[in-house]
Amino acid sequence: MSRLRLLLRDEAPLPVRSIYAADGSASPLKRSLANAPDLLETLLPFLGQIYDEGAVDLATKELVVVRVSQLNACRYCLAAHRPLALESGVDEEQLAAVCDEIPLGALAERERTIIEWADRYVLDPGAITDELVARVLDHLRDDQMVELAILIGATQMLNHFCTAFDVPPTA
Amino acid sequence: MSTQATLETAVEEGRCGDRLWLYATYHCNLACGYCLTESMPAIANRRTLSAETMIRVVREAQELGFGAIGITGGELFMLPDAAETLAEIASILPTVALTNATLFTDRLLSRLEPLAELDIALQISLDSDQPDRNDAFRGPENFAKVERAIPALLERRITVRIATTVEEQTEEELARLCVLHRSWGISDDDHIVRGVVRRGRAELAGMGMTPGVTDILPELTITADGAFLHPFGPTVRHGVTDLDLLVSRQVAPLERAVERFLRLVSDQPVGTDVARNIR
Repeated sequence: MSRLRLLLRDEAPLPVRSIYAADGSASPLKRSLANAPDLLETLLPFLGQIYDEGAVDLATKELVVVRVSQLNACRYCLAAHRPLALESGVDEEQLAAVCDEIPLGALAERERTIIEWADRYVLDPGAITDELVARVLDHLRDDQMVELAILIGATQMLNHFCTAFDVPPTA
Repeated sequence: MSTQATLETAVEEGRCGDRLWLYATYHCNLACGYCLTESMPAIANRRTLSAETMIRVVREAQELGFGAIGITGGELFMLPDAAETLAEIASILPTVALTNATLFTDRLLSRLEPLAELDIALQISLDSDQPDRNDAFRGPENFAKVERAIPALLERRITVRIATTVEEQTEEELARLCVLHRSWGISDDDHIVRGVVRRGRAELAGMGMTPGVTDILPELTITADGAFLHPFGPTVRHGVTDLDLLVSRQVAPLERAVERFLRLVSDQPVGTDVARNIR
């Protein structure tokens, strides 16, 4: 059970009613964030820009989001992003690999390198080496690494939020 | 357009009032059946605004163009420094402070004497001219305490208003109440009669009426939980604050909350006619 109130549309502060669909529905995450309407004013556009396709294609982003959520054991984010990853073009084998259901070696070199870097970024950023960055830069530009780094940070934030407050995948 | 100019326009167009409200505390020595905030002696979360916070908010409100202050609760005089805080606030902006007038000891009354020189009114709740009827709404000995407090305040030249919350009183009963307040020298203009709003404890008890969107004039209301659309917004049910009329969690600086409030009231219909006079 969520440790935050999951506000229904009619319970939500007036300034954030627009985050609810016409039928009054919204994800449990949005319903929990509605407790802090001032933050939502900037947080939702920020997250929207980070999670939408940008300099990095959507499939790569979703692969990284699922991987980070797997590392942080975030039940909510895994339930939300596994289907989104498949929709974005991630295939079943790639998804199984980043969810530790099969070895990461199943990934192609580009994805394997990005995930290796993402793992270090989450688990031990001080252990990222120049050599690893150089290998990532064989596949990504500087700005794309920045975009993925911010994506990882935002995902960690939401992983911790959903886990700490026990936000349910469905409500 | 500056926040001050936007507020001035919104007030001129009747989209909102120029009074800013403060919920000083949700703590109260009474436990009225229609209370919006579940205020009572044993309340778990008192949601008290410090004197420093209230004075800062009022100073900022004055700079932003608000014309008056309202202070409510809970019972303001549960706060040990209420008299001095009121004097400080009323020296900045005209003030009305809502109280049940049951805590006015001689010592407190003497501390309130400086209010006589300031633009402030104490608005005292009284629901019937009959002690038993009034006390049934408001608690034992309420009538007797109010009956003692009002002349004592008036003797000290402190302005007093009477507020009556109507639920099941008859016309005759209200007429007798008017005779009573006139006998104290309180004019009809200083007697506010309003209905119970079906929120908070009143909603749980099935009392009062559900206000429509235009029934309550938006007046920015600051509480320990944030800023709300009007003083009937920050209600409590089962110990939890209702958030449906929350405007902003951020109240420092006040201008951030005012900006969000003005964005919301820009959607309100133009006009000063508020249907049910729920103030």
